[in-house]
Amino acid sequence: MDANGGAYNAAAYQGNSAPSASASMTYLCAECGYHNNIKPREPIRCFECGYRILLKVRTKRMTQFEAR
Amino acid sequence: MDANQEKFPYIAVLEVPENKIEIVPGASSDLTSVTFSIKEEDHTLGNALRWCIMQNSQVDFCGYSIPHPSEAKTQVRIQTTDSTNAIDSMNKGLDDLKSACQLIQHKLHQRLAEGNFARTA
Amino acid sequence: MALEDRNRVVILEDRVENISGAEFPLSFDKHEVSYSLEELKNALDIKIVHLTPTEIEFDLIGVDASIANALRRILLAEIPTMAIETVYMINNTGIVQDEVLAHRLGLVPILANPEDFNWKRAEDPPTDQNTIVFKLFVECFKNQNAAADETDPNKKYIGSSVYSSQLVWDPKGDQATRFADAPVRPIHDDILITKLRPGQVINCEMHCQKGVGKDHAKFSPVATASYRLLPDIQILQDITGDDAELFRSCFPPGVVEIVNEGGVRKAKVVNARKDTVSREVLRHKEFEGKVRLTRVRDHFIFNVESTGAIRPEVLVSKALDVLIEKCDISKAALAKLIKDDMTDE
Repeated sequence: MDANGGAYNAAAYQGNSAPSASASMTYLCAECGYHNNIKPREPIRCFECGYRILLKVRTKRMTQFEAR
Repeated sequence: MDANQEKFPYIAVLEVPENKIEIVPGASSDLTSVTFSIKEEDHTLGNALRWCIMQNSQVDFCGYSIPHPSEAKTQVRIQTTDSTNAIDSMNKGLDDLKSACQLIQHKLHQRLAEGNFARTA
Repeated sequence: MALEDRNRVVILEDRVENISGAEFPLSFDKHEVSYSLEELKNALDIKIVHLTPTEIEFDLIGVDASIANALRRILLAEIPTMAIETVYMINNTGIVQDEVLAHRLGLVPILANPEDFNWKRAEDPPTDQNTIVFKLFVECFKNQNAAADETDPNKKYIGSSVYSSQLVWDPKGDQATRFADAPVRPIHDDILITKLRPGQVINCEMHCQKGVGKDHAKFSPVATASYRLLPDIQILQDITGDDAELFRSCFPPGVVEIVNEGGVRKAKVVNARKDTVSREVLRHKEFEGKVRLTRVRDHFIFNVESTGAIRPEVLVSKALDVLIEKCDISKAALAKLIKDDMTDE
């Protein structure tokens, strides 16, 4: 599709911008939409409703698409 | 605006290839039998041009083909009598096609100006 | 072949005969002259049947199929228009994926005069001369005033349908003054782009560029552009009585009527133009040898339906301009070829 490589933030997986061990990541609950801050090794569970499916939030970067 | 764009507002002239027309090897030395290869053209120009060239009584044969669909190129073969040559016939064909278009355009504008047709706003 | 039959395509029950014309020098005894403009001038005629802001039907008479077909092909594929080419997605949490949404946005016809813009090559930077910018920012909410048991999404939610009217033109440079009289916008306001549910957001920027239909159908200035040959139904022997009724029923309404001639009911072709040339009449034994279905080879009934960006009669004129331009470009290339050849020797 495009050179920027889809919706995933590739930079998050490499080098300096990789999350440190204690840093938390934000995940969206697939059930209630609550923004969960989850640290490594913490149970994957929504704090609000206990649902076990959590989604990565979309990159804040702009992505380019060809309208074709 | 670009000078070329002003002259040719419709076709992306910027994209017109360097050697738009070439003569395919194998033409007769007196140029009465020549195959032209025109880049970036298809049946739109090829067939209309073929018809115009065939209207010339000095032309014995004219045919066109698109050798391969993935190559944007049209070949036009012209064979003429000794009294002319293929290049002049090609030139005449292009002139004739152009004036035919101008004639149709003139007629269209004339009919539009006359305005005796059903018109809905 | 009889002179009047030369320009007739004959439709038989299992085949079509006399398809291509042979109107070339030396083909017929009396046709030994070269192509002359005078000849075309005499034969050529255009009859405009009807014209609306988006549609034109006209008859192009006296030209060869190759020219009519060139016109049709140019109308479909070679008249430039403006269309959304790139979509910069800032946020999209709706169910329609980014690339699908971008594709849908690309197909929205844009009301802008392509002649006001330059071509943009891949390496050219976007400027106010070659790019139109649209923005789309939409969000869906719950409708607090809706009844608790409401099931209609249009009432239950606010902004659940995203329409083309929600695209906002963002004028760049002097575009706001240049197009003050005719602001750039989508032609239709009611094109459904996608649907959303509460909490979902779309935020994106779109860049329109000039292009032609042969590159992508979104650039095509027409919905349809087609032609057909004028049908001509020839009754060779009188068809009378009940046969006349049957004969009439073989054609669409209004093609054949029954006239009373001296107390005899007789079938008469009144409007062959309406015929679909279904060949139904050829299936009946009673009409064998009595009727001939033909089409007039040099009478083209054109139907051009514009998307609305360019008026249909202007489209036809522009199509001719494109063909003229093609001739000019090829002529210049031919002249250059000869010149280069001379300098080589």
